[in-house]
Amino acid sequence: MTQQSHASKGPASGPVRVVLVDDHRMFRTGVRAELTDAMAAGGVPVCEFVGEAPDVDTAIAVIRAETPDVVLLDVHLPGGSGNGGSDVIRGCFGVETASGAPVRFLALSVSDAAEDVIAVIRAGARGYVTKTIGARDLITAIRRVADGDAVFSPRLAGFVLDAFGAAAGEIAEVDEELDRLSAREREVMRLIARGYQYKEVAKELFISVKTVETHVSSVLRKLQLSSRHELTAWAMGRRLL
Amino acid sequence: MPPPHEPAAPQPRPVTDGPDAAVGTLGPPAYALPPPPPPQPPRPPRPPLVRSRRRGWTPGVCGAVARHLGVSRRSVRWAFVLLTVAGGAGLAAYVFLWALTPEGDIDGAGAGPAPDDTPPERRQWVLVLALGAILVVLGAILLSPVLGGSIIGTVLVPLFTIAVGAIVAWSNLDDAQRSRWLGSGAGRYGWMRVALGAGLTVAGILVIVTRGESFSAVWDALLAAVAVLVGALIIAAPWALRLWGDLRREQVAAARATERADIAAHLHDSVLQTLALIQRQSHDAAAVTRLARAQERELRSWLYSGPQGSQSTLAAAVTEVAHDVEDLQGVAIDLVVTGDRPYEPHGAALAQAMREALLNAVRHGGTPVTAYVEIGPGGVEAFVRDRGDGFDLDAVPADRLGVRQSILGRMERHGGTARVRRREDGTEVELRLPPVEGGPP
Repeated sequence: MTQQSHASKGPASGPVRVVLVDDHRMFRTGVRAELTDAMAAGGVPVCEFVGEAPDVDTAIAVIRAETPDVVLLDVHLPGGSGNGGSDVIRGCFGVETASGAPVRFLALSVSDAAEDVIAVIRAGARGYVTKTIGARDLITAIRRVADGDAVFSPRLAGFVLDAFGAAAGEIAEVDEELDRLSAREREVMRLIARGYQYKEVAKELFISVKTVETHVSSVLRKLQLSSRHELTAWAMGRRLL
Repeated sequence: MPPPHEPAAPQPRPVTDGPDAAVGTLGPPAYALPPPPPPQPPRPPRPPLVRSRRRGWTPGVCGAVARHLGVSRRSVRWAFVLLTVAGGAGLAAYVFLWALTPEGDIDGAGAGPAPDDTPPERRQWVLVLALGAILVVLGAILLSPVLGGSIIGTVLVPLFTIAVGAIVAWSNLDDAQRSRWLGSGAGRYGWMRVALGAGLTVAGILVIVTRGESFSAVWDALLAAVAVLVGALIIAAPWALRLWGDLRREQVAAARATERADIAAHLHDSVLQTLALIQRQSHDAAAVTRLARAQERELRSWLYSGPQGSQSTLAAAVTEVAHDVEDLQGVAIDLVVTGDRPYEPHGAALAQAMREALLNAVRHGGTPVTAYVEIGPGGVEAFVRDRGDGFDLDAVPADRLGVRQSILGRMERHGGTARVRRREDGTEVELRLPPVEGGPP
């Protein structure tokens, strides 16, 4: 596969240009094959693989050269300053695609450890899914991240509910509050934790999918900006799965 | 674009597949950084202050200092002698360095002395014995009343004797000699040194204590006690210091080794066994999936210390229930639990009801099966969801309805509720429990 010389017209129209960063070659090959098969079955080439990298430094070089729409990023990677995926995100700060959108990162990990998840989300990833995700769901997630929305796995939603004390009934008085979720955000997170797709969440709450995406993005923002100490202390203190 | 991007075809990386394959390798040459220009050979760093482990008849302090400072050993020795003669500072410094300088292997260091300047074992042994004999004779002379008159004879010389005795005794603390000393067979040499050192020290103390013929009882006894204590301290302090350091090092090493052995044992018992099983059953896809899933779960809980099998809390209990169902049916269940509370009969009922719901979902519904349990101050809510193609309530087998009744009945008996919702794509079972009465909020 060669690089497309014509400028991408943006993720909304052409296929999403994807770079795959993972230190296990077998996994990279597997993901490519699976996604290619799924896309062939669907008939529409949603994603186009433009590069891959096995470690932090290569990843940064590839991403800077290719400026993909979405980077599928493993959380644990060799190289860099030892922080794996977070290092890649920081190293690519400010890199933009041909259409002017920032390069977006979707974390893909085997680890359910809260520290890993929260570290990579706080570094700037737009979502987090585990490697057991099905091909079709992964394509949806890539698409969603390319469009600038956030992708929460059920487990990440569970983390968030725990981290913000929402499961214990803490609700923000105003939406802008960074350390707690609003009632609506909590509802959305609960439904995602129950395994609902965005469109199912929308139907359940009688809102549009776009509104669901807005809520999830707002939660992601809170997760990224909220008091760091509290979140990491939470992750350490519970030694979660 | 200046660096050609990585081709999408299989990588030209001649490494084997596997988790470790790409670790530590750089990407394709196009992205590899150019090697840095060879740096100018820097000034060789100062070697660490380490005493040679090779046997000499001195502890090697002078050699260590000479190596460290890059000067000749002879000049260091002379410096120590001069400092000792001029007020004793050299002796103090020597003893101090001896006590605190670690031993190390410095063979092959360029600045090191030729190996053949170490005296052979026998010659060395004779030297020490001769030195000891001289000192013993010296002590005996000091004990005789003829020389007992002057202050120098009664105080300073015995003190010196004590010091020398202590040094001889301490020399056993050297690592190389300690093993020899602690070993049962070849301990003769070490024991002799200890005996020599202790004898010298006791002799010196005795000389000090019995210096006057008249025992003005209390004062002298006190003095003697203090003297013995001081002597013991002199001997014990550096010894204890060194032993403590050695002990710490050994403890760290032992802990590391134990941890490693634990990990190896665990991986062997779990992962390797499972991999072997998978290879034997590679024709049975369902079995492989089940084995892999069970092993993944087990490894995960071991790595991240997740809820263990003990049913001490509700979260652990529902996690175990989900794992049981996974093992039983070989279908993955995505379980998310938030919050926790102690395990009590109502919680047990919820866990049992959830088990039925999960079994139902796995048997009759479609994957993925997801479960979410929220344990909060307002009670417990559990959701089990499957994604069947949608089903007709009338076509549901009778046993499923029975199970549903058992879920509903069980929850109601424990003051909770259960609801089965039919959705477009699958079914969702909702279980609710009120908060524990009288329990913490």
